[in-house]
Amino acid sequence: MSIDVSSPTGAGTPRVVPPDEGPARSRLAAVMGDHPLAVLAAVLLALVILTGIVEPRFVSLNGLRNTLLLAAPLGIMAATQTVCMLTGGIDLSVAMSATAAAYVAGVLTPQGAPVAILGGLAVGLLVGLVNGLGVGVFKVNPLIMTLGMSAILVGLLTTFSQTILSGATRVAPFIATLGAGSFFGRTIPYNVVVWAVVALLVILALTRSGFGRTVYAIGDNPIASRLGGIRRWQVLIAVYMLAGLLAAIAGILLAGRSGSVDLQLAQNFLLPSVAAAVIGGTSIFGGYGGYGGTVFGALILGVLDSLLTFIDAGEAVRQVLYGSLVLGLAWLYARLTAAR
Amino acid sequence: MSSGTARSAPVAPRTGLDLGRAARRHTWTFGVWVLLAALVVWYTTLIPAFGAFEISSIIRSGLPVAFLAVGQAIIILSGGIDLSLGAMMVLVTVVAGRFMENLGNATGLVIAVAIIIGAMLLDGLIGLVISVSKVPDIVVTLATSFILGGLALVVLPGPGGGIPDVIRFLFTGSAAGIGLNPWPSLIVFVIPLAAMWYVMRRTRTGLRLYAIGSSSERSFLAGLNVRRSKVLSYAFGGAMAALAGLATSAITGGGDPRFSIGNIATLNSVAAAVLGGIALTGGVGSIMGAAAAGFALSLLSPILTSLQVDPNNAQVIQGVLIVLVVMLGGYWQTRRRST
Repeated sequence: MSIDVSSPTGAGTPRVVPPDEGPARSRLAAVMGDHPLAVLAAVLLALVILTGIVEPRFVSLNGLRNTLLLAAPLGIMAATQTVCMLTGGIDLSVAMSATAAAYVAGVLTPQGAPVAILGGLAVGLLVGLVNGLGVGVFKVNPLIMTLGMSAILVGLLTTFSQTILSGATRVAPFIATLGAGSFFGRTIPYNVVVWAVVALLVILALTRSGFGRTVYAIGDNPIASRLGGIRRWQVLIAVYMLAGLLAAIAGILLAGRSGSVDLQLAQNFLLPSVAAAVIGGTSIFGGYGGYGGTVFGALILGVLDSLLTFIDAGEAVRQVLYGSLVLGLAWLYARLTAAR
Repeated sequence: MSSGTARSAPVAPRTGLDLGRAARRHTWTFGVWVLLAALVVWYTTLIPAFGAFEISSIIRSGLPVAFLAVGQAIIILSGGIDLSLGAMMVLVTVVAGRFMENLGNATGLVIAVAIIIGAMLLDGLIGLVISVSKVPDIVVTLATSFILGGLALVVLPGPGGGIPDVIRFLFTGSAAGIGLNPWPSLIVFVIPLAAMWYVMRRTRTGLRLYAIGSSSERSFLAGLNVRRSKVLSYAFGGAMAALAGLATSAITGGGDPRFSIGNIATLNSVAAAVLGGIALTGGVGSIMGAAAAGFALSLLSPILTSLQVDPNNAQVIQGVLIVLVVMLGGYWQTRRRST
């Protein structure tokens, strides 16, 4: 097992500064390394100012609302990646489970909004359960398991969208309000309220509950956590079910935002959801990070998206800038936390 | 790492080779080739006529996935993973489609070689960034998949371009991209595969790649230049992605910058590498297995079509199969290790 040795964030890493970096590291860098969230906040602020210079109208309640409207579903989807990555996994099926949940919610719309939402969430839980069984009990690599699950869902949805899910074109008014509406004179979108509640619960679950401790433990050191008596498979099933639930929430919000459901509903959110968690400083090897950083990551990506829209960047420029920012921030993060 | 000097089963025997022993040591690779053979045989019974056209079609349409699977396998064996390999392939198709259009055969060949070298340098640069930045491979290549995809759109905003006849002939056996002659595409696949197999299994370079894949810390402590090997593994992967891109262009006769093509190709390459017996933790497996798994994956969809399965259900079956094989494989490997 090379996990402990090679993991840069392993618990066993001694608190020594590598000799080649020691003297060169300034006090500022050390402070920043100790407070990664402050760095992210600074990046966010810089981006907001830059966007404000490009388009002064952005720095207004309306601009804020538009950015948040986009960042909220992304932030919730990135929560799935955060919890999965903390265990050393990843969930590449989020986009499709979100779409599946949106489809079911759409079909159940005639039964009323509560039934529709519960139905959608149930789909998310079911997908998560299967993922969790595969990863936790049958020990399939999470990358492969969720990749396969994504392919399965694409096929199922394509077939079902012509048969039993064909009525899913419209969503209930309540869901539409939840996904696209806002209150206080159209300033605060409702989906941000949902995001805030989800964020609070996820952060509490990760930092203040026994479940959260076990999530970090199995991601940090699988062997030690097993010796410590943690039943890895139970934790993994719970984590992937939570991931499915969160993806379903994001999917229902997205359906509400667009007012209808189709197969491409959440596709463009898959890679950004991973990117948001990575920018937020959650280690893809597990055991280090948290949802607080991911929230900043989602906000940064939301503002970046607004910026790219304002400068009227083409798809090509948009993608290159997007990739460069993700790479640059991840690099910065790795440097700052290298001697943690 | 089970054995750096071990040999792969389906390769020409050395003196005194015990085939049974080789099969035992490389059961997985061997099994994938048997699976591929079984799929081909099954396919022949499913379709009314099986002749030169079908053989050439199987090889031709399997080339992109197989090349990409081998490239991904080399990178995973060396302890990395490249989620931008498909985007690199797409970039190669558009560069080929745009810069080879209306060119003579000789110039076309020169440009093809230049593209392969360029892709090696570019992917090598990605490896260097990973090594210098110490950011995990999966994160860096996720970011570069956006960058490469964006560059592809810059080169060619929409599907188009043209490919010289000689390139189309080399990868598909006919200047029209479809034909009866399977030999050129077979040779164009076997030569790079054999070369990569030789490098991975018979040279110090390959041993170093397996070593850093097993444990880059221990390789470093043993005095290996980990960074150089890392860069090299990505450069090899880039070369394979370039070949996959050229093969795709040769089939379609142009370039296509759509992002989703690259994404699907990346996912298939990872799936094929895993099916081919490459452990995602690095250092275990053989590129031969990945090559066979690439062909087997590309054969699934014509088989399911000839079984008259709805293409959408075919996707479900493919997903279930990938998960099941990996599940059973993991179970079998843990059992074998414990006995």
